[in-house]
Formats: sequence, C-alpha cells, structure tokens
Amino acid sequence: MEFNIISPKTKSELLAAIRREKHFRFGAGCTDLLMELRKKPNENLTIINLSKVIDAQFTGIKKSAKGLRLGALFTAHNIVVNEEIQTGFSALHNAALSLASNQIRQVATIGGNLCTASPSGDISCALTALEAECEILSAAGKIRTVPITSFFTGVRQTALKKNEVLYGIAVSANKKNAKNIFSNFIKVGTRRSMECSVVSLAYHIQTDENGKIIKAGAALGASAPTVRFAKTACEFLIGKNFNTISQKDKEDFAAKVLSYASPITDIRATAWYRKEVLFNISKSIFENPCK
Amino acid sequence: MAKKLKVIGTPVPKHDANIRVTGKAIYGHDIMLPCMLHGAILRTEHPSAVIESIDVSDAKKLPGVICVITADDADVNNIGYKRDHPILKKGEANCTRDEIAAVAAETKEIALNALKLIKVKYKVRKGIYNTDDALKVNAPQINKFISGKFENKNIAEKFHYEHGNLEEQKKKSKHIISRKFTLPRMTHACMATSNITASFNMVDKKLLLYSSTQVPFLYQRDMAHALKMNPSDIRVIQPVIGGGFGSKLDMHPFEPICALLSMKTGRPVQILYSREEEFIASPIRQPMEIELTAGVDNKGNFTFREINIVKDNGAYTSWGATTPFVIMQAFSSLYKVKAVTFNSTAVYTNNVFAGSFRGYGNPQATFALERVIDLLADELGMDKAAIRLLNANEQGETTGQGLHFETCGHKECLETVISKSKYSKKRTSKEGDRYKIGIGLASMLHVGGGAKIYRSDGCGTILKIDPYGYCTIITGSNEIGQGSETVLAMIAAEELGIELKKIKVINTDTDVKPWDVGVHASRTSFVAGNSLLGAIKILKEKLNKKAAELLKTNHSNFEYSDNKIISLKSNDSIALDKVVREMHFSEPNELAIADYFYEPSSKFQDKDFKGNVSGTYAFASQAIEVEVDTYTGNVKVLNVYVAQDVGRVLNPLLLDGQIEGGVIQGVGYALTEELLMNEGKIMNPNFHNYKMLTAADVPNIHFFPVETIDKEGPYGAKGVGEASLIPTAAAISNAVCNALGLEILDLPITPEKILKALSLRSTNSKLKVNTNSL
Ligand SMILES: Cc1cc2nc3c(=O)[nH]c(=O)nc-3n(C[C@H](O)[C@H](O)[C@H](O)COP(=O)(O)OP(=O)(O)OC[C@H]3O[C@@H](n4cnc5c(N)ncnc54)[C@H](O)[C@@H]3O)c2cc1C
Repeated sequence: MEFNIISPKTKSELLAAIRREKHFRFGAGCTDLLMELRKKPNENLTIINLSKVIDAQFTGIKKSAKGLRLGALFTAHNIVVNEEIQTGFSALHNAALSLASNQIRQVATIGGNLCTASPSGDISCALTALEAECEILSAAGKIRTVPITSFFTGVRQTALKKNEVLYGIAVSANKKNAKNIFSNFIKVGTRRSMECSVVSLAYHIQTDENGKIIKAGAALGASAPTVRFAKTACEFLIGKNFNTISQKDKEDFAAKVLSYASPITDIRATAWYRKEVLFNISKSIFENPCK
Repeated sequence: MAKKLKVIGTPVPKHDANIRVTGKAIYGHDIMLPCMLHGAILRTEHPSAVIESIDVSDAKKLPGVICVITADDADVNNIGYKRDHPILKKGEANCTRDEIAAVAAETKEIALNALKLIKVKYKVRKGIYNTDDALKVNAPQINKFISGKFENKNIAEKFHYEHGNLEEQKKKSKHIISRKFTLPRMTHACMATSNITASFNMVDKKLLLYSSTQVPFLYQRDMAHALKMNPSDIRVIQPVIGGGFGSKLDMHPFEPICALLSMKTGRPVQILYSREEEFIASPIRQPMEIELTAGVDNKGNFTFREINIVKDNGAYTSWGATTPFVIMQAFSSLYKVKAVTFNSTAVYTNNVFAGSFRGYGNPQATFALERVIDLLADELGMDKAAIRLLNANEQGETTGQGLHFETCGHKECLETVISKSKYSKKRTSKEGDRYKIGIGLASMLHVGGGAKIYRSDGCGTILKIDPYGYCTIITGSNEIGQGSETVLAMIAAEELGIELKKIKVINTDTDVKPWDVGVHASRTSFVAGNSLLGAIKILKEKLNKKAAELLKTNHSNFEYSDNKIISLKSNDSIALDKVVREMHFSEPNELAIADYFYEPSSKFQDKDFKGNVSGTYAFASQAIEVEVDTYTGNVKVLNVYVAQDVGRVLNPLLLDGQIEGGVIQGVGYALTEELLMNEGKIMNPNFHNYKMLTAADVPNIHFFPVETIDKEGPYGAKGVGEASLIPTAAAISNAVCNALGLEILDLPITPEKILKALSLRSTNSKLKVNTNSL
C-alpha cells in the first residue's frame, strides 16, 4: 500500500489542494480508508489528510437555538464525552460509544463515517434518525446543504461531488414542548465491542407531558444498501401515546420499519435473521424504553 | 508436621510481566541479525488443483531478490506426525495453505512483490470438502504419501478402545440416548503471529533457529529429519513467545522452508506471518462429528457409552490426529461408567488440517458427554446435579481404562459449583419474557501430571548457586506465557531461602538446557517443578555438608531462609553465598551445582490404550448462568462458577490467569468463534469476522480452587493449564438448553441458530428443535 500524503493546515490550503490534485482521496481518521486501500490498492494516489486542518468549524461543536452543529472532523470520542449530546441526543451518544473500541474512537470521525456510506455505519444511522443536515463545502469555498436522507445514494455512495468535502452536520434542537425524549441506538452483533452492526436501529422520539408523541425519528442500519430513515413508521407514531401504545401498534410500527429493509445474506448473518431481528428490536423500543 | 510455606501459595507476579508490559520483551518479530533476509511464501490459489508449471524467472530477476525456491530445489523429507506432508508442494495442491514457492529478499516488501511475479499454472479440481465425500469408494486419494493400511484410501488414522461388556450394559439400561454432535473449527489466534528466524552457518554447517516452538527438543529432531541433518547440529533458541495454546506443538512447513532459504543463501532469513496468513495457515481445533449413545439404569447410574467419531483431518496429518487419545479418556473415565466402546476415524479432505489446541480434543468430548448427561437426567426425571453427583469419580478409583485417581476432587468440585451458583434455585423466566435465564453444569477430567505419549515424559534440571548467592535454574521446560518460570523461581526461593530477584531461569536454548518433552498436556509446573525439587535435594546435600563443616557441627538439620543456612539445633547460621564460596575455593573445590532428571510415575499405555497415563489427574466442574435474548438470539454469559481440583495452589495470581483465560476461550468456543470455510477456502481470515471475544465480553468468573494435595505433584499440585476451558462450552450449551428448552447439538451457538430454532418452535410448540437440523 503506497500513497502520497499532503496535510493542509488551513481551510484555504485545503481548498487549494482540492483544486490542484487530480487523483486524490480524503483521509480523516483513516480507519476506513486504510482498510479499503489494503483491499483495493490504488496507484499514484494522494491522500489529502484532513486531520491537520485547523478550523473550528471543521473540528468543533457549536450550540445555538436551532440546535447543534458538529464539524465533520468531530471524532466518535468527542461525541462520547460531550454532555449536550449525551443528555439531549442519546441515540448519537450511544452510537458513537458502540463504535469499534476506545482506540479507534479517538481518531474515527463523523465525516469518515458518513462519507464511507456503509450501510452499517453507526454514527450515520443515529444522525439519520435525528434527520441531520449535511453541510458540504466545494473547492470554490461554497457551502450547500443536503438532508442526510438524500446524502446516501447507494452502497458506499454519497451525494458528494468529486471536488466537495463534507464540512459539518447540523442537528435540530429538540422541540420546546418535548417533555420526554426516548432516544437510543440499538446495535445487534455478537461481541460487545469491536463489532460491526449486523442490524441496527436508531430512534429519537419526543413526547409531550402526557406521553403523546410529537416528533419521531427512526433509522435502520445494516438492513439495506444504505442506512434508511423509516419515514412511514415515524409518521405512524405521531399522536400516539408512547407509554400506552398497544401491542398491535408496536407491531405495526415494527412492520413499517421492516418495510424499509432489503437486507443481504453475508458471512455475518442471513437476510432472514436481519429481518427477524429488525422487527423484534423495533417493537422492543416501547418495552425497554431508554430515555 | 508439614513445613509452613513462605513463597508457595502467595500471589507472586509473573517473572516476565515487566518486560512484557513495557515492550522490552524480545519476540521473534524483534530479532534482527546482521545481513538478514526476509522470506515470504507463495501459497496455492486453489485448495485442490494440479500444478502444471511454476515459473519463477521473473521473480528471480526482481532487484533485491536473493533466492527463490520450489519443491524442485529442496532435497528434504516430508514432515508431520505421519510424514505425509511435503514442505513445498509439487505436482498438486490439496489445501488452501499449500506452499508452492518461497522467496528470500533484502526487504519484506521486495519478497512480497516477488511472490506476485511467480507464475503458476493450475488445473483446478473439484476438491473434497467433507468426510462423507472423501469416504466414497470412487473418491480420489487425497494424500498420496500414506501407507494405506486402512480399509479406505482417505482414512488417515483410526483409534479403537473398549472396556466392559457393552451388550450386557445396554440390557441393564432403563434409558438410552443417542445423539450426533458437530464441532467447528476454532483457531488459536495468538497475539504474536507465527515467526521464525533461521541462520545457517556455511562454515561449520550448523543451523541456528529462533523459533516459537512449544517442544524444542522434538522440534530439533523433526527439523533434522526434514532437512536431512543431524539433530545436534541444529540449535533452537526460543525468543519470548506471544501465545501457544497448542498451536506450536507441530512443526509447520514455513519453518523448514525458512531454514532452507538460509541454507541456500548463507544468510539469516526471517519469516513473519501477517495476521491474515496466521488465520489461513496456522492450525485449528479439530472439527468432528461425534455420535454418542449412552445409557443409564433406573437408579441413575451410567451404564455404557458407545462413541463413533469422524474427524475432518484436512489434507495432512498433524498431532491433531492423535487427539482421540485424550477424547477417549473423557469418554472412558469421566464419571463412573461400566462399559465403553470408542471408535474414531480421521478422514483426509481438501480442508485445512488441525493441530493441537488447549484441551486436545477434550472440549469436544466433554461437550457431547455433558449434553447427553442432561438428556439422560431428563428422561429419568432426575435432577441434573444429582445424577452427576451419583456418578462422579472418587478417590482411589481405577477406571476401566486404567487411570488411577490417587486423589480426586470431582465430587467436591461439583458440590462447590452447585452450591455457589445456587444451581437448584428456580430461574424464573415467564412465557413471553424477552430474556430467558438458564443454568448449566459440566465437569471435566484431564491429565494433571503430564501424559506419557512419548517414551519419556520427563524433564531435566541443572541447578547452580553462584558465589554471590544467586541461583540459576537451567530447566528443560519452557515458558510460553503460562507462568512456569515464575513457579520454578518460587520453588527455588521456597526451598533455598533465596530472594526471588536473585533467581534466574534459563530455559530457551537447546544447546544449554537438558532434555524435556515440551510444553503441553498441562505438564510444565508438575514435571519441571518435580525435576527442580529433585535437583534442589541433591544440591542441598552438598551445601549441608559444607555448612556443617563451617558451623562445626555434625548434623544436617538446617533451614534455608533469608539467604542463610540456619542450624535448627543451635540457631547458628551462615550466609549461603559464603558456603558456596567455601565450596568453590577451599578443598575439595566443588561447584554448587546439581542436576536431576525427573520421570513421572505414569505408564506408557499398552496397544489397547490401557494404563495409568498420567502422574495425576485434574478434575473441574463449572456451573454457568446465561441470559438469552429471544429477540436477537444473543447469549449473554452472566456468571461462571469454576471449581477445579488443582492439587495445590502454587500461585493464586497465575492460577486466576489460567482459569480466566481458559474460561474466555471456552466462551468463544461455545458462542462465537468459528473459522468458516467454503470449498476449502477460509472465509473469515481476520479479527473482524472471526469473532474472538474482547475484554468487554468477559463474564463474571467466580473461581474456587479445590486442593487435594496429590503426593505426586510438587507440593501436591496438579496441572491446571487446559482444564479451565474444557467444560465451558458444555456448561454454556446446557444453560442455553435450560433457558429455552431447545437441544443444542453443535457449536458455536450463534444468535442465528437460536432465533431459527425459536421460530421453528413457534410454528409447532411440540416440536423438539435441535440445532443440528438447522
Ligand atoms: C477495527 C475497526 C472497527 C470499526 N468499528 C466500527 C463500528 O463499530 N461502527 C462503525 O460505524 N464503523 C466502524 N468502523 C469504521 C470506521 O471506524 C468508521 O466508519 C469511522 O467513523 C470512519 O472515520 P475516519 O475518520 O477514520 O474515516 P476515513 O477512513 O478517514 O475516511 C473514510 C472515507 O470517508 C472519506 N472522508 C473522510 N472525511 C471526509 C470529509 N470530511 N469529506 C469527504 N470525504 C471524507 C474518505 O475519503 C474515505 O473515503 C470500524 C473500523 C475499524 C478499523
């Protein structure tokens, strides 16, 4: 595995590099990239190393009335230790915490997780349930935003163009009248760490003081070519009471989530297993709620 | 009155812990010799193929390549337990590991690039990937190097054993249960990948090897046979070894290949496996199918066992083929049983071949046996703990196979885990509950004092004390991480009254150390410990004589303590180093040195496999509590209760390490670890998909040592290394069956199997679902 590395130090150096280089890939934590290059060597490749860029918008987190904005270089570890995320957006916290191991989490970035566009990307799954907005920076320095639901376009494919870099992610603040937030990331696999999701489900459900669901987000991972937002399942929940939801409604919800799944059979599990489990964990969210 | 022990029984940290955790330990990967070359091996692309031609000309031309060899360049003998394994393959490939060519180059990168330039023409064959196909009459012969002494050309090895009158016992049986169990391929996945550095001296024609072998003296002989050399012209030095677990009992082709590259180039050559290569080309635990039929009389006494095993031998025969030797002990002698007939057949296939692996067949046997015991108890309506206690082995027993239990903690182990785990308490999970709790019980019997499978199961020691009062133990046995160095140092400290930091253990060089059969069969502390005690006794006689002379007394009633020799009569004392100096420097000028060769009292078994094969036997029981998630099929191991007859606890810290490590390996065997194969190729040669457990998966382990103080063992100790892993998969399986009311007949118990079984049952609640049918 051989490649050149260039390490821009500023945003403008980065943009210049993007304009200049012909045959390049971005590298942030490189935890996905190195694995990929090992499998598929790529000659004369230049890696534009993002991890040395000094730019708060690229690396940091910012809170505003609208919500949170996280830089694409924010790491899984940064997410895990952030209290705002832990209390307000448990799905994201738990997804980051379930990623790989402590060592990998120190370098693995949000941007890398999203841009790899793996169907089993855990951070991607949580951010999809949170209906995040992707902020994309072009070589010319222009920003455009894309809802995460249209960011993933296929297995390992995204809406990014060749000369674009993912710059940040925006997550809307929880609703003012939300009294309870049921937010979690359920990862199914055989090991408790260093495990790639066999099936995953992220959900972020906000209720009013009576338990009535006022906003719901749910996304499924490792069950389709991309992480998917289970739109009809979420809509189905609006107006229902989280605490007293009927068995039938739980199962209808699970069935609606399942309708987004088109899993494959691979070395880790069969499609049958993935579907079975996705249904089960979907209905389980009302049984063992995690606030 | 027994002397009070000061060092033995205390939690002394591992002798080599500091160098290991600070990165100062020199592993095989760290060795760098002047002018050293780097070797790499080209393996076949196809598990079964005719090799039509090999063209190495382009590889030879690559700058930095010094040597390329194929079978045509090697005047060597076959290796392996049956000598059926050519180290470089010619004419055909029979296994995905097959070595076709090897390169030595200035750098590792050049060597790997050179491999890509070697052109091999294959004619791909269909291959035979299961034992049924291999045994068909029209199947081609897979391994052409065997004598063909069996009725089928693809049978590699057979074992038959029996005792008692099977037919009579069948008649006496109230219930008979018959099941077929399927066991997977598991791999050792040692932290350090396989490695060797070979240095052949062109001038004196001697070969120096830095090797991680577990059995240096057998290895020296095997290497000499392979290379047509004199064993004593081969010196084996063991660097720090990063994991053995049995994987380094056999010599593997890459080792003589590396030696050959050094012999051809006259330069040292090093071969280091990548992690992927480690998964593909290092040994595995034997996969097998075990058919077990067992009976019980109306009171719950075990009557008979009839066992038929078919093992997938892979393409070549390793020590793995001899595991029935241990498997039959479990079936013949774990719990009292009146009649046993045992047959096993190892069948060649184009799959990867096994090697030895901690437990040596015993985890497989124990899984089948303990599952069937649960089923027999169910048939009888008897409590699963009670049936085990009724049939447990006893002190003084000599089993049908002739194993003699001078001490036996089996009952105590069972009673301990039954009470500590509150086994009899009802575990409540209701119909409709997502999580189901269950508990399972299993015991094991294993050799605890070596195993006489060679003509000698002995170990030599040379012991010296220098004029500064430091002690050097030169032992035949070696350290592969299990802690034997520490235990030996503790024994010397105990007996000679020397501080631990003044004790050195030399155990890595065949040119220096006396003979030993190797690290396996949980034997090292037992055999090397006894050998050291023998040497200490002789040395003390010499020291006592000098001390008596210096203290001007004529008795030899001395205590060794605080680096002194103390007269127990007068309380006079003299410094140990002074005594040694006086021995050296005053007449009759003697060295403070002694040697001893210990041979255990065990017997070489006769051709019917009868006889007392070990110096003593270890027993253990485990009760394991699990929680099964019926939504995902995941099994969470909640609590593991371990009681083990260790004879005597020599070092509680090291013992805990052995128990915990073994249990975790056992949990992996039960639940997650399987090397998946498809048409002879390994599908998951990486930690990503080979699901070895991580620290986060470690369950609560509650360990209760049982001390039976066996007179054969050093201070009464027995071997402990393998035992802790042996009953774990069996107990977990029993627990899962207990939780779900299913039948587990194969390993690993994957979430998918559980969910499939549950879903089958949900369509028909009366269905007796077993995992083998899925
Ligand atoms: C041992 C191991 C375990 C793992 N376990 C998990 C797990 O449990 N869950 C999980 O979800 N993932 C897991 N992963 C995958 C990986 O760690 C994550 O996807 C991680 O978030 C990737 O981040 P990175 O910064 O390392 O990405 P990189 O490898 O640096 O980049 C990944 C891809 O994204 C592109 N890229 C990176 N940043 C940007 C950007 N800002 N703009 C445009 N393109 C960009 C790169 O060009 C590359 O194609 C694991 C990986 C390993 C090696």
